[in-house]
Amino acid sequence: MAAGTTVAPLDGAAVRRWTRRATAARASTTLGQRLSDAWGGLVSAGVGLAVAGGGLASLRERIALAGAPVTGTVLPAPLTSAALVLLALAGVVVVLARLGPVSATPAAAAWWLPLPADRRGLLRGELVRLTAAVGAGAVLLALPLAFGAVAAPTAASVLGGLGWAVAAAVAAVGGTVLLQTRRRGRGPAAAAGAVAGAAAVAPAVVGTLAAAGGTPVGAPALGTPPAWALAAAALAAAALLVQADRGLGRLDAGRLLAGGVTAGQASGSLLSLDTRQLGRALAGRDRPPRRSRRLTPVRRPWQAVVAADLAVLARGRWQLGQLAVAAAVPVVVARTEGLGALPPLVWAGCLAGWGLAATAAGRAAREAHGVPELDRLFALSAAAVVRSRAVVPVLATGVVCAVSGLLLGVGTGLVGTWALLGLAVAPAWAAASLRGATRPDPDWSGPVVSTPMGVLPAGVGATLVQGVDVGVAGSLPLLAALGTGGPTPLLVAVQAAWSLLLAAAVLVHLGRRRSPGS
Amino acid sequence: MRNPPGSDLLVAGGLAVGHGAAPVCAPVDLRLSAGRALAVVGPNGSGKSTLLRTLVGLLEPLAGTVTLAGASVDERSAAFRRDVAAVLDDDSFFVSLTGREHLLLTARGHGVAAAEEVVAAEIEAFGLAERADALPSALSSGQRRRLALAAAFVRPARLLVLDEPERRLDAGMRTRLAARLGGLRDAGTAVLFASHDAELVGTVADEVLVVDDDACRVLAPAEAAGRIAEL
Repeated sequence: MAAGTTVAPLDGAAVRRWTRRATAARASTTLGQRLSDAWGGLVSAGVGLAVAGGGLASLRERIALAGAPVTGTVLPAPLTSAALVLLALAGVVVVLARLGPVSATPAAAAWWLPLPADRRGLLRGELVRLTAAVGAGAVLLALPLAFGAVAAPTAASVLGGLGWAVAAAVAAVGGTVLLQTRRRGRGPAAAAGAVAGAAAVAPAVVGTLAAAGGTPVGAPALGTPPAWALAAAALAAAALLVQADRGLGRLDAGRLLAGGVTAGQASGSLLSLDTRQLGRALAGRDRPPRRSRRLTPVRRPWQAVVAADLAVLARGRWQLGQLAVAAAVPVVVARTEGLGALPPLVWAGCLAGWGLAATAAGRAAREAHGVPELDRLFALSAAAVVRSRAVVPVLATGVVCAVSGLLLGVGTGLVGTWALLGLAVAPAWAAASLRGATRPDPDWSGPVVSTPMGVLPAGVGATLVQGVDVGVAGSLPLLAALGTGGPTPLLVAVQAAWSLLLAAAVLVHLGRRRSPGS
Repeated sequence: MRNPPGSDLLVAGGLAVGHGAAPVCAPVDLRLSAGRALAVVGPNGSGKSTLLRTLVGLLEPLAGTVTLAGASVDERSAAFRRDVAAVLDDDSFFVSLTGREHLLLTARGHGVAAAEEVVAAEIEAFGLAERADALPSALSSGQRRRLALAAAFVRPARLLVLDEPERRLDAGMRTRLAARLGGLRDAGTAVLFASHDAELVGTVADEVLVVDDDACRVLAPAEAAGRIAEL
């Protein structure tokens, strides 16, 4: 063992510098290459922002020219916008809390954290990077909104919008890190999850009640917030960040490493565009069961599959909340003034909500796909396993789509028909859920497509859309119903037949693809 | 800092350990003094690694207390990290730092004078001279294990904690490691290690903590011979 300490040990900042210099000494990329990459990224982001801003501006003009709404629109646009902002902010907090937010890679946990160097100095770089990344993301989201969502954007309105976005992002980072330093790392995720759920469900409930009563919801007249309010918000966000920085030394190695492992999995799956793995990384641990289920009603192998899938759905930390949000999203879009007058937009709201339901309902199938030996435990053919595994998605999407349809119908005099229309779409989304859960890994060997925003790997895209494609195709009769002013018994029948046909085709295809030994 | 001989350095009382609410083994009571070595033995899954992680502050105890030199164990304290060197099941390295640079980082981070000489000596002692300037990805699994162990020797510590240090080492290296650990113990460092290697336990340990579901007991090596033989 080395002799006693006789020189001053490196402090946290010096350890970071030392590691960075040693790493940079053998970096294979040149400064020119890095500048070139940065320029390419900037151009891609700029083109993407311009396309998004243009799309929003076009949407705004189409809303202004739109005719009668599909259902009664009773929610003022500012109310829905506020709910959307709350939802986005809560989503950011959930992701931050799952990632730590401050974390240490396994290498840093093994070689930095055991050093007697001040932990604050070691972790400050991580906090700076995190704040910069979330702030940049907020700017990227706010820019198209600032230019596209306002009729006549001015320099002041754009800068104000960007300022609020950055302040919110910094406050989100500062607040979650501060709670992390006080060992309340899991609290913000649960609270933000509840806020996100409420932000989606509350407007749907309010909108439905208002539609039932035939009275639009009044919105308080809010002007542009004064500059001092923005300055105060920015100061508060900065104060949170400073407090968070001061508490970095209180973070313990175990939690830093746990966050680092999650962040590593999430960033790896993001880089490889593996959304399925990304979901697994961010999902967090299930609720621990109070006791094991006795599974007494299970008599046959297929019932065991269904019982296991139901247990996975019930124990998931987020699934039930996701299903509630999924049912609410189409209602909020359809009930919001402006949005509800454009049938394609209402249809897109349905796709977004029911796609979320399909993702939540397919979790057990996704997990089983990752561990194929589980299915081999049962005396079931591959086709029978697929059919059994479809039961829970059918039930979940059936409830979500029927509830959405029912709520859409309130105030139209066709509640039952709307509910049946929703129910009729459900088999397609259940099939989408299974197809998405069992899709192959992204194929990077396929051809690439050159676009103004950079090169897109078409092979990967073709894999990623598996699942959603069936849901979208299966919902085409719904688009016809929305476009023609509402559902008719004939359209409901067409929707049901088309949806069942697609679902049967998917189940047969998946049953053939998944041989018992696969 | 050298340990005062004979004084209790690490003390655990009624310590319950686990990852959830349920303990993985019976409560643990132990005292480890400077210049003594305690081996932790038990079957796979008995809770040895969880116990070590709790003793070095990486997991919170479910119940009971752990103190180092009279103060509650707190891995966030720089003084604690200065006193305790631990090599657990970590096999993580900075991808762009060589083996030598990892050891230099550790030595300089602990303020070791003549860090380069100390590191060179440990590289030699752990048989890494030929591969010290290679990146971790170019090292074998056993060489990476040697590198991780060497990091515990390039710095001063009052307590050395190792989780199955014999893992992935060849027979010759295991023998040399046993001699190094014995030397450290004799020089006044407290050594705590979990192991399945009967020879390592027999050579280094003054006492043996047998970890089990029913009871965790500290025994003399002779008393624990039966359990050690099962290793």
